[in-house]
Amino acid sequence: MNKTGFLYDERYQLHKTGHFHPEIPDRLPSVYNGIKEAGLLSKLVLIKACMPEMKWIETVHDKNYIQRFEAACGSGKMIFDSPDNQMCAVTYDTALLAVGGILDVVRQVMDRELDNAFCAVRPPGHHAEVNRAMGFCYFNNIAIAARYIQKNWSIERVGIVDFDVHHGNGTQHIFEDDPSVFYYSIHQHPSFAYPGTGREFECGKNLGYGYTKNSPVLPGQGDSEYKRLIQRDLLPAFAEFKPEVILVSAGFDAHMDDDMSDIKLSTEGFSWIAKKIVEMANTYAQGRLISVLEGGYSLRRLPELARNHVEILLNS
Amino acid sequence: MFVSRSMTRKVITVDQEANIFEAQELMTGKHIRHLPVVDKANRLIGIVTDRDIRSALPYSFFKESVSETEKEKLSNLSVKDIMSKNPISISPTYTIQDALLLIQDSRVGALPVVDDDGKLTGIISVRDLLRAFINVLGIGEPGTLLCILVEEKVGQLKKIVDAITEENISFGSVLVARYWDEDKRAVFPYLLTQNVAHVKKKLEKLGFTLLDPMQWYLDQLPKHEA
Repeated sequence: MNKTGFLYDERYQLHKTGHFHPEIPDRLPSVYNGIKEAGLLSKLVLIKACMPEMKWIETVHDKNYIQRFEAACGSGKMIFDSPDNQMCAVTYDTALLAVGGILDVVRQVMDRELDNAFCAVRPPGHHAEVNRAMGFCYFNNIAIAARYIQKNWSIERVGIVDFDVHHGNGTQHIFEDDPSVFYYSIHQHPSFAYPGTGREFECGKNLGYGYTKNSPVLPGQGDSEYKRLIQRDLLPAFAEFKPEVILVSAGFDAHMDDDMSDIKLSTEGFSWIAKKIVEMANTYAQGRLISVLEGGYSLRRLPELARNHVEILLNS
Repeated sequence: MFVSRSMTRKVITVDQEANIFEAQELMTGKHIRHLPVVDKANRLIGIVTDRDIRSALPYSFFKESVSETEKEKLSNLSVKDIMSKNPISISPTYTIQDALLLIQDSRVGALPVVDDDGKLTGIISVRDLLRAFINVLGIGEPGTLLCILVEEKVGQLKKIVDAITEENISFGSVLVARYWDEDKRAVFPYLLTQNVAHVKKKLEKLGFTLLDPMQWYLDQLPKHEA
């Protein structure tokens, strides 16, 4: 059995998003209870949130953006940059705690104190651009983690797999010029879903051309199409790239019971994806894998999805 | 909405005495397919396309290596020998809609824009029109497209817009496809948000049908034209 880390902190529920917003604090207890009720807590290494050094956030985001976010939050504004990004007085601090917790987990995995980990954080990150909050996201957690790894360990190739049902525009844009970070995303086709990027022909830019890969999925599709596309696009790409560590943007909103999309993945479909990613981590990255929660809004399905995800990390 | 706002102003032109290889190089180097031909006073006298040049070259030119003498003979061909004389042109006060319809009708890829004195002031290509269309669709901004089927009667769009506005959601664009099933129209609001689950339920409660995305289409033509 692996030494698997589980980042969870009740303070991640302090970020409040208001009425009719799907990205609610209750998502996290849902995740936690699913793992707890399956009796997995005692097998995991529990990790609490902590504050990060600002310099790591600045490896991805403009200083000016960070200040703007802090100021907006401090001034009592309820919305930042886009109406999707509803917030409260402690949203900025919660976003910092998410980054801090993830970086602590990353350090433990890279220093071999842990084999792999799942980070149940809020707010999510993959839509956040260098200088713009978008789609419920403020700091791009996964992108900051990738830069943190590159600056502290001699790692030449970081692989990111994003299976949130929405394309991670922020992550893609941050690394599109960078051949040392491979960004792969599978998501609902952008003509039918937010944010409208992640088309098949978006493959990276300049030196980074060929190090971004997108698999758009048409509405109504599910397990078999995901399997086909992951086998066709992701597996060969990573076999060639050979990532030395894998970061996962784990969004569970492609589930058939999640009303954020028209994709019909089953609970088993998610497990299949997780197993494939873990297999790649074992083959290329000495098992080093850090998975970070993005979307996933079905409070009914989150418990089983999180439980299975963590179980696969433990038993790989 | 005028062509003058969307056209390319710095037009790359060619002299009618230039040989066809010079014209070809110019197009390849600048990634363009249309070269207006102008006289000394910048008056439009013709247009030459990459296809005109390819048609002027013998088949052997592409298939086999061509001897120097053969090539020299071909380079005696000049732009004036292969250009379309008196090409269709439009004035800067033509609208984008004019240009769209004229390009569709005349089956050309670009229209030179000429002022009242016959002088070339710009060129508008299919590519420029696509850019304008992308802008109208609003798809440069992050958002979510919905497709709502409505009865063809007055006031439907208002209800939809009101319902969405009440949710504090901004519109990137709204397309109305007039020709759909009989007595039905399709409304495509492009909403600048990720959060559409609630508004979708609300629209359904109001009695609207949200179409399955796999059933969407935009280019249904009226039956009598099909």
